[in-house]
Amino acid sequence: MRCLIFVEHSDGTVSESALELGAMAKSIGAEAVGLICAADPGAVNALAGQLGSFDAVIGVADDSLATYNPDAAARALTAATEAHKPDLVMTSYSAAGVDLAPNVAIRTGRQMVGYVSGLELDGDTLNAMSTVYSGKLVARTGMDLPGIVAVMPGAVKADGLSGGAPAVEMMDVDLSGLRMRVTETLVPENTGVNLADAEKIFCVGRALGGTEKIELAENVAAALGAELAGSRPVIDAGWMPKVRQVGKSGTKVKPRLYLMAGVSGAPEHLEGMANSELIIAINSDEQAPIFGTAHYGAVCDMFELMPALTERLTAGK
Amino acid sequence: MHIAAILRLNPVLTEELEVDEDGRDIDREWIGLELNPFDDQALEQAVLLKEATGAKVTALAAEAEGGERLLKTALARGVDEVLLIEVGEENVQLSSRARAPLFQEALEGLAPDLVLTGVLSTDDIYGELAPQLGALLDWPQVSAVSNVALGDGVATLQQEYSGGISARIEVQLPAVVGLQAATQPPRYVAGSKLRDLLKVEVPTVEPGADFGADLADATELEVPDTSGGAEMLTGDAEAVAARIHEILVERGLV
Amino acid sequence: MTTPILWALTLTAMAISGWRFWVRFRPLLAARPAGRTDRIADRLSFMVGDIGLHRRLLRFSYSGILHALIFSSFLVLFTAILESFGSGLFPGFSLTAIGGETWIALLQNIFAVVITIGLGMAIYHRFVIRPERFEGSKTRDATIIYVLATPIVITMILEASARLAIDGQGSAWRPVSTLFMYPMMALGITGHAAEQAEGVFYWAHILAILAFLVYIPGSKHRHMFTAGPNIFFRPLTPKGQLPAPAPTPGEDTPTTVQAYRDFTWKDLLDTMSCTECGRCQSVCPAHAQGKPLSPKKLIMNLRDGYLTDQGLMDSPDHAMPIVGGTIQPETLWSCTTCRACMEVCPVHIEHVPKIVNLRRSLVEEGEVEPLLQSALTNFQSQGNSYGKPAKQRARWTKGLSYKIKDARKEPVDILWFVGDFASFDPRAQKLSFLVAELLGRAGVDVGILYDGERNSGNDVRRAGDEGLFEMLAMHNIEQLEVCEFNRIMTTDPHSLNALKSEYPALGAAFDVVHYSELFLELIKADRLRINPGQAGRVTYHDPCYLGRYNGIFDAPRDVIRALGHELIEMPRNRDNSFCCGAGGGRIFMEDSPGGERTSESRIREAMELGDIDTFVVACPKDVVMYSAAVQALGVEDRIAVRDLAELITETVETEERVAQ
Repeated sequence: MRCLIFVEHSDGTVSESALELGAMAKSIGAEAVGLICAADPGAVNALAGQLGSFDAVIGVADDSLATYNPDAAARALTAATEAHKPDLVMTSYSAAGVDLAPNVAIRTGRQMVGYVSGLELDGDTLNAMSTVYSGKLVARTGMDLPGIVAVMPGAVKADGLSGGAPAVEMMDVDLSGLRMRVTETLVPENTGVNLADAEKIFCVGRALGGTEKIELAENVAAALGAELAGSRPVIDAGWMPKVRQVGKSGTKVKPRLYLMAGVSGAPEHLEGMANSELIIAINSDEQAPIFGTAHYGAVCDMFELMPALTERLTAGK
Repeated sequence: MHIAAILRLNPVLTEELEVDEDGRDIDREWIGLELNPFDDQALEQAVLLKEATGAKVTALAAEAEGGERLLKTALARGVDEVLLIEVGEENVQLSSRARAPLFQEALEGLAPDLVLTGVLSTDDIYGELAPQLGALLDWPQVSAVSNVALGDGVATLQQEYSGGISARIEVQLPAVVGLQAATQPPRYVAGSKLRDLLKVEVPTVEPGADFGADLADATELEVPDTSGGAEMLTGDAEAVAARIHEILVERGLV
Repeated sequence: MTTPILWALTLTAMAISGWRFWVRFRPLLAARPAGRTDRIADRLSFMVGDIGLHRRLLRFSYSGILHALIFSSFLVLFTAILESFGSGLFPGFSLTAIGGETWIALLQNIFAVVITIGLGMAIYHRFVIRPERFEGSKTRDATIIYVLATPIVITMILEASARLAIDGQGSAWRPVSTLFMYPMMALGITGHAAEQAEGVFYWAHILAILAFLVYIPGSKHRHMFTAGPNIFFRPLTPKGQLPAPAPTPGEDTPTTVQAYRDFTWKDLLDTMSCTECGRCQSVCPAHAQGKPLSPKKLIMNLRDGYLTDQGLMDSPDHAMPIVGGTIQPETLWSCTTCRACMEVCPVHIEHVPKIVNLRRSLVEEGEVEPLLQSALTNFQSQGNSYGKPAKQRARWTKGLSYKIKDARKEPVDILWFVGDFASFDPRAQKLSFLVAELLGRAGVDVGILYDGERNSGNDVRRAGDEGLFEMLAMHNIEQLEVCEFNRIMTTDPHSLNALKSEYPALGAAFDVVHYSELFLELIKADRLRINPGQAGRVTYHDPCYLGRYNGIFDAPRDVIRALGHELIEMPRNRDNSFCCGAGGGRIFMEDSPGGERTSESRIREAMELGDIDTFVVACPKDVVMYSAAVQALGVEDRIAVRDLAELITETVETEERVAQ
């Protein structure tokens, strides 16, 4: 069995999720073949060198592929799928994966399953576990191969690099007449906020309700010596700047302590913080999915907890 | 300029979800439906673009129930026209994969310059709608977009990646966009506007296309077992704060 | 010779004053209609109590008394003004024939003292006591009036003193003037000199009065002229019935209030009648917890904005926006619509309808606070603020000892309109359960609307979404109209207000009772048998929408006493009750007070009574608000918040107990 894995990369580094997909392919006993789209063969080779656990790499090189271009990438993945007929096409459920998996599924007439958190092979049937309804339910879908899956980042651990660089086979794809171009890559300004490297993070969710209460959260963060972060609704509502967002569309973090209040734990958020060393979650809803991921949980009102905790932390110093 | 906004109803997720007897669908007995929050953003973005450029906006839906009310709300929010695709009352659980050919057919009829819909729907297990429509219509498609501006035959979009990184992408029209966040959060629409539109007839269309094939018959749903999850701290806020403090001290985190 | 001068002076002063009034009041003619000319007899009779008897003013005894002193003096001293101008303008005019030199003179002398005391008290009040409610009032204006009023009185007295000094003959009818005659004579002012002095004081008196007259239109003291009309034109509709948006003249579509000309003339008259006394500010729960709202400053700001705009108000191109101009949105959203301000205002200014009208304009523009937006969106889609499906509304009835009737399917005696909070909030659900069991035990034939009920719309209307209110109300009315029942009962005062006071304006009149009233009947009729257990020392909090709005003060108290408890009143009780902070849509909004929450201050008020074990409430929202307050204050072990239904449940005889 063979898996074709769409390898995401930026700034010359393959993403963690590509390695995770490789590990997942191995876990069902499949061959992992990476598809690397980059500006030139040299870049493809350099990236392939980082995929030590992969069995092979298919490279597509074109100027339009220097950074991720949804149109070009969809054509490349469609062409590679049609040419190599893998049993399973795998993408991460990232922005690119959301673009590509359903698009290629339609173009190649394959079935696909998204939000995948685990795979099991049962004869010719692939059982894909997905977290749906914001993590409130788990779906198990039996898919006859060939198929496509889009896997939640962080669903499995990437194994270490083993073996040498996989063999690279370049492939020609007609990328003429692309209907879009990337004009600019926007990197968030350095604001002094560095969630990725923070040792302790205090994250608040939608339940914060507005900017009026931010001070309470800031006090906890200050007393704890932690960076303050927010989940997507907090950032979308403009209560905190984008640099403080943890999750799929924000920053992925791995602190020693991830304390959270009023975050229900949507998969997109879990994706960004599930690997934290110690997770403590406060939520007023005892059914909040976050309690399935956190190490410690408490059902209580965050507005009562925050001042109480600030007091404890300050007194304890 | 003509913009189509595709709107879908989702179960209200503030409620505890239960699975029906045969494990194929959520138990809809006690569940309410609401506009998918990302579609809400798409609708707002469509209206914002209308305000900025004078574009015409058509809102589309394909729902077994609640579609009329949904589209009346869209009218109240400022779209110009609405169209409800009839899917049959029995089809309460339709994936985007199943509905995509119906939307494709309607869009081919409307021939909009831009299609906006939400980047995802939390139950869209067989693929999100926007990329499928892009493939079916063979139009360029971009997901996870947080900003849309219209130019002459092109749209400038901002696609969001993890780590706060994003790219500005110029895409030729017609195109399909899976929207993550509108340029500004959805505004409130006063009840008076909705009230005035409640009597409006929502035009409906019988689809000629068949539902797309998905794996719905091969999917079983279950409530995840969270019992193996967090160790729960009990007591009031004071007690919880004290316990958290202890844990942090034990681990040398404070 | 002096007559023409006086004529010229008087006419000039009157012209200036009249013009000053005209520029301020002319815009009223162009404002929207208010319809306040019905029931003239009632209107006149109400004025007796409010003006003649100072009913509202005397609630604040010190300032009430000083106002009574000054007010009565003005009436009496008007005779002196009449004499001065009468005799000057029409030589030969005199009040002597009816007692101008005898009892009228005596009264004038007495009230010269009275007004001096009154003014003294006022000055002491404003400059020494300085109550918080004066914060933000215009002290300079008040001071100028003291400065103008005092010489009027002094010159009046001294004019008579000088006249008496001509002959050096005191008068028993003018004791005060006589008193001042002696020092005058001691200074040699007698005979001809006294005649001259009389003239000087006369003219000083005339000038002081004319200065006063010219000053008045631009001063808060114009309330001398506007208070009467403002009280006369008060609303006579039920207190709980908010006026609908005023119609645009010539069109049938209502308009929101964006500029001053969108107000009714009565709204504008209100602003011109404000005396800046600050009674409203002193009772306002929003002000008390440090929110950016003082009803007084709201009216003052509206007035000041209106006056800067005045001359141009009827010009269509000049429409100064109110919200964001003189009034900030946060101010409007701070109001709990508790009506304490309106209840205490001596001149019957209508604060709440203005706030709601301005909120309506914000809602129409889509400018609402995020949490309120989500609640209102939920109302639109699901008919309740929780965003829960209507199907779940009657879920709380699961586990009742009997199946509660569906009033849509069979006739019932009592139709229980349960309300959102009582249906969906877990804490309030328990109370609904108790009420249902009590009704069952008393054999009441009761039914509910199940998923046919929607939020009554009371708070939606006050949050400013008129269209949504109408949709919710019309839905409920349609449901209710096909049901057969005798009376509607509700535990929720907000629902009660909508059903009882608001729906009649939509053409649906029902007989609505509060559960406290129904339970009182059941207890009196022995359908619920009370077995008084341990009597507690309890206090009772009047919910705004039950008490102030709908006048139901006694039923809950009678129930409490019937249960054998000792009821101790808090200082702020009945129509002076202090809002819990949840009303007017506030419960849907972000709650971050600048100071102490009103609910917490209320619990402290109860605890200051000493030895109170129970804080009794009769509103599902109060249960939640005050339980949270008790928790926040950490006094759970000293005072318990309990709903009337809980008190009844624990003292009513169960069948088992009856059997024994």
